[in-house]
Amino acid sequence: MEEVKNNSGQNLGIAALITAIITFVLAVIPCVGLIAIIPGIIAIILGSVGLSQAARNNSPRGVPLAGLIIAVIASMISFSQIFVAGRFVGHGHKWPTNIENFVNDVQDNVTKQIEDANVSIKVESNGEKVEINTKSNKKDQEQKLEDLEEEATVKSDSIQKHDSTQKHVIIRKKK
Amino acid sequence: MSLYGRKNSSGHGSKISLFKEPYLLINIILAGVILLIFAYSGFFSPEKDNYPVTCIHEIVTGQQCVSCGLSHSFSLIVRGRVAEAYTWNQYGMRIFLFFIAQLLLRVVFSIFYLKYTGTRKQLIILDCIGSGIIFVVAFWPFIAIIISGILPPAS
Repeated sequence: MEEVKNNSGQNLGIAALITAIITFVLAVIPCVGLIAIIPGIIAIILGSVGLSQAARNNSPRGVPLAGLIIAVIASMISFSQIFVAGRFVGHGHKWPTNIENFVNDVQDNVTKQIEDANVSIKVESNGEKVEINTKSNKKDQEQKLEDLEEEATVKSDSIQKHDSTQKHVIIRKKK
Repeated sequence: MSLYGRKNSSGHGSKISLFKEPYLLINIILAGVILLIFAYSGFFSPEKDNYPVTCIHEIVTGQQCVSCGLSHSFSLIVRGRVAEAYTWNQYGMRIFLFFIAQLLLRVVFSIFYLKYTGTRKQLIILDCIGSGIIFVVAFWPFIAIIISGILPPAS
């Protein structure tokens, strides 16, 4: 007598396997990886029901079992995308600090270059010309600049009193 | 639903029910899904930028991920603008090739399954291993990111 093959749970198993394969592909893609957990759970349910039906009716369990295993792995991959996103967010917090550090570095470099540079200061007022070339350190330069500014202010006040018109202060940086 | 398999000794093709052959049914459905992906890429235009799927990763983290621009890339590849596709997503081409390869494999393995009835088990094992390797090769950049996300950061 020919044995009748019972295919109970096979259709659910096929549905579970196809859903699981699609979930697996989606789970690996970061853009949609997080939402792949939804079809993953559906595939697990389909696979479990299919497997229980197959076990109850003593029919082949290969397809629902394969579907269930792939669905579980795909769901785990999908769940792991949370950690990947978390890692990205963790790096994201460091970015403003990195940008700030970069800006500070650039600022320091520019300041250092100005400190090391030869500075030529020219002051012109009513045909009078004063030129200072200096290679001294920053403090000396600042002091000289302040002195010059004070001098220029006094002169400018006197010039304004006598209705004089022009005053130029040219600070030129020489590398 | 039924298909005709290899001719038997009497010269007639044996009728195969798709519902009794899960492998064939799965192959047909997966081929259909891949064709739907190509149809999606062809339907939505990169110029109009009317893609319905938005990056969940970008919504959550506020930063673009490695798979951002994949839909644009696919659409451009379907339209033959491969160089532009690379600018949208550098991995778009390899993933597109994975889907092309899978579509061909579904057809080829289904034909072999119907033709060589004696080696069906070996054929399914070969299909699983081959598809697995192709999947890992095609999706490796994404898999690597997942692995780096799970593993603790190197101090």
